[in-house]
Amino acid sequence: MGNFLQFLVSGVAVGSIYALAALGFVLIYKSSRVINFAHGQFIAIGAFAAYALAAWAKLPFWLAALLAILATALLGFAVERVFLKRMVGQPIISVIMVTIGLASVLDGLLYLTPFGSGNFSYPPFLPPGGLSLGGVSISYTQLLAIGFTAVFLLLFTWFFQRSTLGVSMRAVADDQMASMSVGVSVERVFALAWAVAGLTAAAAGIVVGTVSGLNQGGLIGIGLAVFPAVILGGLDSVLGAVVGGVIIGVLQQLAAGYLNQFVPGGGTEYVLPFVVLLVTLWFKPYGLFGIEEIERV
Amino acid sequence: MRNPWAQTGNYRTRYEQDVTIFATYREIVSVVLLLVALGLLPLLLERSQVLVLNFTFIYAIAVLGLNITTGYAGLISVGQAAFVGVGAYTVALTAPHLPFWLTVPMGGLVAAGFGWIVGLPSLRVKHLYLALATLAFQEIFVWSVGRIPALAQGAAIPVEMRNFLGYEIGFRNHNHFWYYVILLVLLLMVMAWRNLLRGKYGRALIAVRDNDRAADAMGMDPGRTKLLAFALGAFYGGIAGGLLAYFQRAVVIEEFTLAKSVTFLAMAIVGGLGTVVGSLLGPAFIEYLRLGMERLSEAIKNNPSVQQVIPAGVDLASALLPLAFGLVIVLFLMFEPRGLYNWWRLIRSYFRTWPFKY
Repeated sequence: MGNFLQFLVSGVAVGSIYALAALGFVLIYKSSRVINFAHGQFIAIGAFAAYALAAWAKLPFWLAALLAILATALLGFAVERVFLKRMVGQPIISVIMVTIGLASVLDGLLYLTPFGSGNFSYPPFLPPGGLSLGGVSISYTQLLAIGFTAVFLLLFTWFFQRSTLGVSMRAVADDQMASMSVGVSVERVFALAWAVAGLTAAAAGIVVGTVSGLNQGGLIGIGLAVFPAVILGGLDSVLGAVVGGVIIGVLQQLAAGYLNQFVPGGGTEYVLPFVVLLVTLWFKPYGLFGIEEIERV
Repeated sequence: MRNPWAQTGNYRTRYEQDVTIFATYREIVSVVLLLVALGLLPLLLERSQVLVLNFTFIYAIAVLGLNITTGYAGLISVGQAAFVGVGAYTVALTAPHLPFWLTVPMGGLVAAGFGWIVGLPSLRVKHLYLALATLAFQEIFVWSVGRIPALAQGAAIPVEMRNFLGYEIGFRNHNHFWYYVILLVLLLMVMAWRNLLRGKYGRALIAVRDNDRAADAMGMDPGRTKLLAFALGAFYGGIAGGLLAYFQRAVVIEEFTLAKSVTFLAMAIVGGLGTVVGSLLGPAFIEYLRLGMERLSEAIKNNPSVQQVIPAGVDLASALLPLAFGLVIVLFLMFEPRGLYNWWRLIRSYFRTWPFKY
């Protein structure tokens, strides 16, 4: 039982990272119906940018992280402006394929830097060890991950419920035509969605980096694990992204704890999310909180 | 009576004329000439050049399949490499016991079965979700192969075929022998593709892609149509995989990763989605681009003045390939969404109407 609680706690910590990464992904999908296949690359770029600023430019870590998050937000904004804005009016499938191509380009660019191979870790800024409560221990980095996600969630909730921009983003997600006719700038909303996606991706990347170190394959893998999380939660639901992320995180920890011993070679935690993705698509394609598309002629 | 040899335009007046494969006599002649040229080509080439052609043709078969799912049905598939892999592993397991003209179609059928399973959500959801189903299958496939002892956990499984009907296949004639086999299979697959898609099923696919609600109202079943497209695309992938296994004389998991799936997608986009000519031009373009990139990274590596600029730990070959493929995808989608096929069409219509402007 103690083990189980331990897996649960670590799972929530990992899952909150997925949730954070998934937020930006869902935002893009909600506002423009585009599935962003380059999300994992955003995560990696944000995390490595923070590393470069902290380790090479010798900035204090919090400043490096902040600058990296802003830079990745700018990257998301630029990607929208340079590539996706030109694709307006093209079939959505072409737009999605552009993001696939973009993922490949960003991958190549990462390989051109020393980050393409090898492992890196941030300079330590938290005391090692952690809290222990009734046999369940949680490290400070994991606590930071959960705290970070909670802060971002609160900010997001406030942003979407209260701020004008947030409300207009929800309006665009709901009905582009209608929001255009009441004077919402759809263009600005799209650009903003991509910027926010870059922002949350970088935040997730930095948290992953503090918890488990930096390595290109691993970071892009987080981007892939976002897909099961958002499908499970419902592709167009912010709440679903968070719940889906946490569920996937917990499932992964449980698989690593209980299933790996039965599989030669182990590693069930890497494949389980994709099995969940397929099964969700078979039986409940719109996920837990997604809005079912009902079509009327 | 119009002279059919000098026909410069489309004078179709009846439905039977509209479904013909060749519009003019000139097209028939040019296809025959092309086939003769392709038949004679390997006699003039080195073994290493035939090798590149063989890969191009094998990938062309896989891309033909992708052109059914993505080009015709409008379902993005980022799992074609996994279907190719299913075909290849089927061949690897059955090749010691069965002749190759049985194992390759079996590879196709097994892949089609997997395609059917992966495509099942298309009965309920729209195209975007399907892309994620193929992504999941791609990841599950690579992971599972790495865990299954019978598949050597992803390490190389040798596939041997030393003679065919008494004809010895050795080191010298391996590439040339398989060139003709692959060309023949490609020809069959192209004919099947054309016949399938110009008929009732092909038009159903186009209708479902363009407006599935309208197609539904016209009595087609969008879910079933898409599911069949998925299975067919996977079948083509499986056939390509089977040929790949025999031609490479081994099956390794590195050939069937997500990166390879993206490469197939790049081939389809560069060639022009939903066209036969594009399915041939795209793989050729990407294969030669890959060769060029490999040469370029070799040249840079061996250049001492450049070597000092590159930081340690940077692997140029693994950087340039995804960079080039990604750029090609993005640039073609932005500036020439109809792909190389469009260039081919422009050139062809120039010659067809020559010496007139139109």
